[in-house]
Amino acid sequence: MKQEEEMFARLAREHKSTIYTVCYMFSNDEDEVQDLFQETLINMWKGIKGFREESKIDTWIYRVALNTCLTMERKKKREVKKVPLAMDVNLFEDNDANSKQARVLHERISKLAYVDRAIVMLWLEGMSYDEIGAVVGITAQNVATKLFRIKEQLKKM
Amino acid sequence: MEEQYFDEMRQQMAALKEQLNKQEIVNDHLIREIMKVKNKDISKTKNVCFIAAIIAFLTFPFNTFTHAWSWTFTAVTGAMLIFCTIATIYIHRPVDKLNYMTSDLATVARVMTKFKKQYDNWLHYVTPALMIPWIGWACYEFAWKNNISGVNPLWLTLPILFGAAIGGLIGYYFHCKAVNAAKSILEQIEEK
Repeated sequence: MKQEEEMFARLAREHKSTIYTVCYMFSNDEDEVQDLFQETLINMWKGIKGFREESKIDTWIYRVALNTCLTMERKKKREVKKVPLAMDVNLFEDNDANSKQARVLHERISKLAYVDRAIVMLWLEGMSYDEIGAVVGITAQNVATKLFRIKEQLKKM
Repeated sequence: MEEQYFDEMRQQMAALKEQLNKQEIVNDHLIREIMKVKNKDISKTKNVCFIAAIIAFLTFPFNTFTHAWSWTFTAVTGAMLIFCTIATIYIHRPVDKLNYMTSDLATVARVMTKFKKQYDNWLHYVTPALMIPWIGWACYEFAWKNNISGVNPLWLTLPILFGAAIGGLIGYYFHCKAVNAAKSILEQIEEK
């Protein structure tokens, strides 16, 4: 148990920006991002025992985060126990250069369909087609085809 | 030109992650709170089963006082309630596990499709197969077999039918809620 707790704490700290980015791209307000962020951490904690390192840790974390964002979508009104995050940033409202850049990216990505959003986000993170396929559950060939179409869509925006 | 556009997006993503990495968004308090959650969830499932079992067995002593139903009917009702609870947990289990298992989006789609199908099958086949005979039997037991009041049995079936209609509407509401949630998730995953 102690080992699991340590592993979870380490993973949460190391991958916080990845998890937060996924939540940010699938949401439209700060409160919801925080709910999704916490829910993703809860699901990671629940699943950490089942994680046997058969897949890469990045792949697993993306899967958990994406599945959480997908299933939380219809549970928005559910009461989620809120633990304040020590965040000194509000990506939806801050006016510094980085937050503005993040908003431009958010605006572009959030216009895409759910799976397309996930694919383009993983691609922007520098994942290979095989890795993207492993997260989404499609072949690398399929990823390439989809990405081509998504890029065309993005260019038209 | 095209590459420049996507390079800009890559830079935006890198800047976002860099900014987030500087923040202390995961603190000890949050981690402690999250670690408490798992046990609560497990006990919640156990509690639901426990309450269903209590309700099922409470019908037995209640039956002694009212004499409205036979022991056989009471036992079958209790067994039916337990069967339905176990079936509900069985159908929901893969969906509840989805978020924290290592499922990819294609697997999520498969699980949701199966869940929706099982729910629909339950509504179309199992519910009528269980409820029609059960309501008929309840009416017979209450209004005819154990009717010592002399009231027209048809009048006595009304409260049972009314209760069944209310129960049916509540059940249908929860059915639609679960199926619609599954449908909307599937719509998001599948190509529109």
